Amino acid sequence: MKTLTEEKLNVVNTSVEKVDGKALVRGKPVFTDDFDIPNTLTVKILRSPYAHAIIKSIDTSEAMIEGVACILTYKDVPHVIYTRAGQGYPEPSPYDTFVLDKKVRYVGDGVAIIAAETENIAERSMKLIKVEYEVLPPILDYEHAMDKDAPIIHDESEISGAYDPKRNIAAHYEMEIGNVEEELKKCDYVVDETYYTPNQSHAMMEPHGAISYFDPNGRLTIITSTQVPFHARRIIKRIFGVNSRVIKPRIGGGFGGKQALHVEPYVVAVTLKTGRPAKCIYSREETMTASNTRHAMRFRARAGAMKDGTLRALELWGLSNTGAYGEHALTVFMVGGSKTLPLYNKVKAVKFGGDVVYSNTEPAGAFRGYGAPQGMFPLDSVLDELAHKIGMDPIEFKLKNSIREGETSPIFKIMGEGREGVDQIINSCKIEECAVNGSKEFRWYEKKKQPRIDRQRQIAHGYGVAFAMQGSSIPAVDMGSATIKMNDDGTFNLLVGATDLGTGSDTILAQIVAEVLNTTVEKIIVYSSDTDMTPFDKGAYASSTTYVSGNAAKKAAEKMKREILNAASEIMNKPIHTLELDKDGVISEDGSTLSFSDLQTKLFYTFNQRQLEVTESFVSEVAPPPYLVSFAEVEIELNSGKVKVIDFLNYIDCGVPINPVLARGQVEGASAQGIGMALFEDHVMDKSGRIITNDFFTYKIPARGDIGRIQVRFVKSYEPTGPFGAKSVSEIGLDTPGPAIANAIFDAIGIRVRRLPIRSEDLFFEIRKKGL
Amino acid sequence: MKVKIKINDKDQFIEIDPGETLLETLRKLGYKGVKHACSTASCGACSVQLDGKPVLSCTTFTAAVDGHEVKTIEGFSDENSLSDVQKALIDEGGSQCGFCIPGLVVTAEALLSENPDPTQQEVIDYLKGNLCRCTGYESQTRAILKAAKERRLK
Amino acid sequence: MLDIKEYLKPNTVQSAYEMGQMPNSLYVSGGLMVAQLKISSVERLIDLKSVGLTQIEDHGNAFKIGANVKISDLISNPSLNINGDFIKIALKEIGSTQIRNMATLGGSIAFKLGWSDVITIFMVLNSNLEIYDGKFYEISLEEYTKKSMKGAIITAVEVPKTEGVAVFEKFAKSNFDIATLNLGLKIVLDGQIVKDARIAVGSRPMVSQRIKEVEEFLIGKHIKSASKDACDLIEKVIQVGSDIRASAEYRKALSKFLLDKALRRVQL
Repeated sequence: MKTLTEEKLNVVNTSVEKVDGKALVRGKPVFTDDFDIPNTLTVKILRSPYAHAIIKSIDTSEAMIEGVACILTYKDVPHVIYTRAGQGYPEPSPYDTFVLDKKVRYVGDGVAIIAAETENIAERSMKLIKVEYEVLPPILDYEHAMDKDAPIIHDESEISGAYDPKRNIAAHYEMEIGNVEEELKKCDYVVDETYYTPNQSHAMMEPHGAISYFDPNGRLTIITSTQVPFHARRIIKRIFGVNSRVIKPRIGGGFGGKQALHVEPYVVAVTLKTGRPAKCIYSREETMTASNTRHAMRFRARAGAMKDGTLRALELWGLSNTGAYGEHALTVFMVGGSKTLPLYNKVKAVKFGGDVVYSNTEPAGAFRGYGAPQGMFPLDSVLDELAHKIGMDPIEFKLKNSIREGETSPIFKIMGEGREGVDQIINSCKIEECAVNGSKEFRWYEKKKQPRIDRQRQIAHGYGVAFAMQGSSIPAVDMGSATIKMNDDGTFNLLVGATDLGTGSDTILAQIVAEVLNTTVEKIIVYSSDTDMTPFDKGAYASSTTYVSGNAAKKAAEKMKREILNAASEIMNKPIHTLELDKDGVISEDGSTLSFSDLQTKLFYTFNQRQLEVTESFVSEVAPPPYLVSFAEVEIELNSGKVKVIDFLNYIDCGVPINPVLARGQVEGASAQGIGMALFEDHVMDKSGRIITNDFFTYKIPARGDIGRIQVRFVKSYEPTGPFGAKSVSEIGLDTPGPAIANAIFDAIGIRVRRLPIRSEDLFFEIRKKGL
Repeated sequence: MKVKIKINDKDQFIEIDPGETLLETLRKLGYKGVKHACSTASCGACSVQLDGKPVLSCTTFTAAVDGHEVKTIEGFSDENSLSDVQKALIDEGGSQCGFCIPGLVVTAEALLSENPDPTQQEVIDYLKGNLCRCTGYESQTRAILKAAKERRLK
Repeated sequence: MLDIKEYLKPNTVQSAYEMGQMPNSLYVSGGLMVAQLKISSVERLIDLKSVGLTQIEDHGNAFKIGANVKISDLISNPSLNINGDFIKIALKEIGSTQIRNMATLGGSIAFKLGWSDVITIFMVLNSNLEIYDGKFYEISLEEYTKKSMKGAIITAVEVPKTEGVAVFEKFAKSNFDIATLNLGLKIVLDGQIVKDARIAVGSRPMVSQRIKEVEEFLIGKHIKSASKDACDLIEKVIQVGSDIRASAEYRKALSKFLLDKALRRVQL
């Protein structure tokens, strides 16, 4: 479908103020830790100092000091195996986790839950718990997890859904189209290299936290900083056999780190045991070392092309570290291929596969990009290397082989998320405009003509480009719904399960509804993410909220519109086809009007009384990818190896941005996180498996002033299956910085970096070796 | 022990533990806008103004602040209107999850009172100690420069 | 929160010292480091700020700065012109606005933290400390870094007014970070000949140290032609170690890099 409709929009594609904006800039108490419930116990977790051990005995008798309400060990919590992963049921992640287990599998794994009147008492009590461990040999390097005599990390009999736990393999996947080996033989040029991406921490500003309590009617209620309230409710039911209400208040960032259960089982266990409210807020150290990280991955990338630049074969074969527990193991790994390789759909053969292994390190989980950053780093780098070998401009090379509108890739059908995927034709793809317009604004061809090294100042400049795609939800899996209820004062309640983690989804969903109902965002009162009050939504992940929850909201608004016109037709005694919605009301052909408030007032009290209310759900058949081309200019200090990103320019096709300021913010923020992953964020582990870089003092996320300029440009595009033409925007920004920076460094000094993060020390010694 | 602190222009007499931090005291008193995001004086989310100067409340002993004046985000917020800094942050998309924002506003207010016409680099340098993970900082710099300009015109 | 029994605010140095002799007591000035301690044995904090020590006095041939003067006050003080704007420019490299509003000069020196920028900056300026441990006496900052002085209180820092141009260089991963290596250089030139040189390098990761071999090498030489050899020399002689931020070898290379930058800057 090639037409680009331009609908006339009043609210959508406008940068309206965030609906929670005022509360946030005023510092209102809207986050989990801001709620004070009387009689609340403070919950702290005793954590394992060993990477791999069995608890031989645990004696809490001396720790029951005054002020301690209870101490729970593995003996006191349900022995029900589950996965922490917040995913659709049945989850494609292994069930390999207990609330507390007899075995500990990483430094930081939970050993006991302490509930006390104050934090001070809990900490003092914690020191008095006596634990005897039988220390086992750990696997601290995931590249040795499948060694012949490697210790088995998951030997529990209850485990299910893991590929081969006896060999520490949590998941395995492979697929091939055509024959890569044969194609490579026919190629004029082949590149075969191995690339590494790190176990990046989300480092969201608000640590994980949850409160549980019985409401006055005895209903278990959990307030939690989560991206997945409905999954949380389901998993709590599985573990404890209790029904509950899960409420997500405002969240101080998630980035996938809150797409899992972390704290909830601990507080629920305490509330069930004591009857009292229980609150557990992680310290920064716990968030850094005992929640989850990005899956560190190693990929061997092979690419082959002809001398005219035709790409013939691609292969990514990988090893992913899922750490001590396998949440999101298979799915993140698969996205490393499913949301990268289809970008180059013209190859004759493509192969993707590998293993996801357990190790005795902090569990890995969902993190913005969800495998695509880990897959795009090797893919874009290997193509950049290939372009250089051929002697072709990387932009030209990538454009020559990348997907366009109207095309498809067989990978869409073969690779879903944890299962088979769904076929789709690309309806919107402006990657060419992104590359061409971007290269013009960046002055790519001009800059490439300039000398790179300034001997006087001992500085080198380099320019790199990276291409990326992502997805917009997981087709046939992700479902969201919306309820709209009309009030007698001209406002509407919009109830959505969708989870705003600071992304602004409450706002854009209100914009979509306001657009359909011809009213303003102020008249749409959004209430979200409360499992008792809002309809189901799978939660904030997979870049699905705008696309899936947005489509659900649009569907609901359209149904509400029909109900309104129907009722108005009755009240005004005019045929429906003569009526239209116009500025907070209904207008008829002859000019007479009926405001929304008058309409619902009549329907409440005097006229065919009924409440106008609708609920609609949406599941997508497709997941139209957004596309991004990013240009990086780096400056390298030759005598120290320090790399600074001077300029980072993003040209993105995300369809129609529902709210341009919010969409821009998503890309700017993702670029910064990607630059963090590429240049700053480096976890260091000591010999015992303890993460030393456990706070902002040692784990450096980019601070103000560390990055030069980040810019975002939206290319005009329209996705016909998206609400008002929208696609997703929030993850894709993380896919390009790693490769763009590595490509720029190669451009500057001819040194190819294949491991992130790029440490200035390592680059310095490479520069010295090269004699620059 | 007892201390007397003027918080947001109101004198308060508070009973505290001697080793209590200002962050703990303020949150206990209900100033929930002051955020706890790290324990190593590394992120700025707990920033408040002490005698007009931005400091980290997480590493300030409340006992040391006896007799002094503290201003939190609540002291810079009015129920009926937004300050130019607050409005600009909303308009430019500088507040995403909002967790770093109270500390940022308090520190930015100090910047503008010391330097009403800061350059872009001065804004960046002054606010270096306020980390943000959501925005990538661009929108916040735009917002504060915009607010500074508006404030000068008033 | 530190689980202490009392927070004391003495009015004189003498009473502060006496309180400090009680077991499990700790002095606090700015509080940044003390507030992060997780030592459960500390029973008592003694706040030195109530003693005063906030003066900045010009004594003619030296400045005497009270130990409780905040870093931000040092930066904004109009009269503190030692070697031009050196102190103001150098101190701005430290921490953040908030940290500079909290950290005091004495507090920044007392713990002898390896990564301290303050120690390097004041060491390169020949600073002396006024210490009280029952009586007042002076010791050089350099000596202080090598001795253990438990229970003693730094009451002032004396910075002699000397000639020369001074610069401070800091290498760190992020611009809001402690130094991976820091370097202070003070050069007195007679034309192009080096009359005097002082070099202090810190965050080695150990605490700042004078690099006397390179200082002696530079004295008497033509600064431009000696620079390259001086940089090669510092890389050879400097004593450094490895930690999570850098290996010893990298720190050696950084010392060369920072000295080179510093030497260029003093000639501007």
